Amino acid sequence: MTRQLEGLGVVPGIGLGFLKVLTTDLTHAVHRYAAGSPADEASKFTNALLAAIEEIHQLAVQAQAAGQNDLAEIMEAHKAIAADPELAANISEKIAQGVAAPQAVLAATEEYAAVFSAMDDPYLKERAADLRDIGRRIARILTGAGAIDFGGGPLILCADEIEPSVAAAMPAGQVAGILLGQGSQTSHTIIIAKAQGIPTVSGLGTELETLADGQQVLVDGYSGQVYINPDQSLLEAYQNKLASEQEQLKQNSLLAELSAITKDGQRIQLAANIGRPADMDNALKQGCEGVGLFRSEFLYMGRDTAPSEEEQFAAYREVVERCKGALCIIRTMDIGGDKPLPYLNIPAEENPFLGFRAIRISLQRPELLLTQFKAILRAGVYGPVAIMLPMVINGQEIVQARKYLRQAMTELEQRGAAFARQVQFGIMIETPAAAVLAPVLAEECDFFSIGTNDLVQYTLAVDRGNSAVSPLYSHFHPAVVSLIGNVIQAAHSRGIWVGMCGEMAGDPLAAPLLTAMEIDELSMSAPAIPRVKGVIRKMTVSDARNILAEVCALHDAEAIRLRLSDFVQELEA
Amino acid sequence: MIEIELALTNQAGLHARPAAQFVQTAAQFKSKVRISAGPKTADAKSILAVMGLGLSTGTTFLLTVDGEDEQACSEALQRLVESKFGEGP
Repeated sequence: MTRQLEGLGVVPGIGLGFLKVLTTDLTHAVHRYAAGSPADEASKFTNALLAAIEEIHQLAVQAQAAGQNDLAEIMEAHKAIAADPELAANISEKIAQGVAAPQAVLAATEEYAAVFSAMDDPYLKERAADLRDIGRRIARILTGAGAIDFGGGPLILCADEIEPSVAAAMPAGQVAGILLGQGSQTSHTIIIAKAQGIPTVSGLGTELETLADGQQVLVDGYSGQVYINPDQSLLEAYQNKLASEQEQLKQNSLLAELSAITKDGQRIQLAANIGRPADMDNALKQGCEGVGLFRSEFLYMGRDTAPSEEEQFAAYREVVERCKGALCIIRTMDIGGDKPLPYLNIPAEENPFLGFRAIRISLQRPELLLTQFKAILRAGVYGPVAIMLPMVINGQEIVQARKYLRQAMTELEQRGAAFARQVQFGIMIETPAAAVLAPVLAEECDFFSIGTNDLVQYTLAVDRGNSAVSPLYSHFHPAVVSLIGNVIQAAHSRGIWVGMCGEMAGDPLAAPLLTAMEIDELSMSAPAIPRVKGVIRKMTVSDARNILAEVCALHDAEAIRLRLSDFVQELEA
Repeated sequence: MIEIELALTNQAGLHARPAAQFVQTAAQFKSKVRISAGPKTADAKSILAVMGLGLSTGTTFLLTVDGEDEQACSEALQRLVESKFGEGP
């Protein structure tokens, strides 16, 4: 009997493999563990600790070599904690009292974790998870569960949340899919899965507890569907889908050289969303024309001090140069209480998405904004660059930021530094306020870029990380579609261009709507570029206008999505 | 035994990387090294204990070094703190 679960597809793709439940592994092993005398246990512990430190060290080295600096830093911190003499002393004391080594390790790390999680400082609070992770690693080695056995793949890993250390150790090619209980979109595991292209479905909740190792599982990371013990007809259907997906990917790489132009000659610029210079490798391979969103906040994360002007300049310059004459849009730091940075000292907030974040911080802490502006202006010497402000809700914010831009130019001039004087200055349209005020805000800037992730979330009042309400989240909600249409019209009637850089921009189903609305630029994660380009190249503007008119008569997000899905399927057939 | 009072002026205080640097430096010496701030005292060779003090920027702490290489050890730690952990001016 096939059983079907439904979650949130967070990394697209189709995976077929055998289930491996990660959470029960250790619990079972600890129960089965046969303890020896305290002296035996003490020497086993010493060996396991050394093996754990070596394992962590290897992961740090691998992460560093792969350019995954955040992960390397996490692993370095784990190594320092694992090597802590106080922790070892605490564990040894428990073993001397007759506790079995794995239990002693888990109890001691839990004691420290409890101390950290009771702290006020959000950074230290998070270290509790590191301690638990380290404890489980040592216990895994002790119980002979060893590192997780990734043999016998392809595997579908399943856990409420996968520890970063486990995710980092996943060998490429062995893991065909990941199922997560939590609804998080931004966990380390999901970032790693995205980078490796492993189809992932999250938000499956407690359904996962009913699953057992070895069951055959089909994961559809596009739709969020998960099939346990899929029957023959389902398997065949998906194998066909998999084959056509691979054929499509081959076609897509041929597309990289072509531009996104409709059959009747309307051209849309397809740019890439990136977080760090290394992301340009894949972006260029997929045929991006410039960068429509450089999330500069990644330069600020995972460190103890704000990045200096020189560090930022080096990163921006590298990306600007690699855009080869196409525009590179750098968004100023978009950070808030949900991703606290120790050096910003932003107090924890009840509701960080409605709190002190993004442009609100930048305008209160102009020293941060000035440093960032100076680095961007200097990078502008190496190619066209634009500045984009996040979370704007009124024109005053743009006016104030422009004042700091002039100050940054004056300071650079006084220093005699080379910088670009002509830099496009635009804003994200990601709050309902900015969307409604678009005609007014257009007077203050050179361009708009519609950030659909937040625009949808704020317009519909739906947190899509919350699996109880995430089905309500849709960029095809008529209210969202109507806001987007109005923003594009307002911008064009005032002579400025409009792009889009949220997830909707990379959704091939949205391409006909946005083409009909005459959007000028779409910026998306690199893997989305070829398919969107393929859809645009197969339609005419009048096809697109017809479907837009049809869709505007439907007053339901799901009905709109289904109609677009039919239309795009016909195009792609 | 040497006792000196040090002030944290780097941006992050004794968090994460600075704490790790401090502990690594202390561990290179044979002397016993302790940090006290207010009523709390920690073994400076234990990153858990040091981070557990939760010392943020602007706080002062007492460094106590006791052992055969206490002079070199206290000087190395003092340099590290006063150079803001290599954070730059």
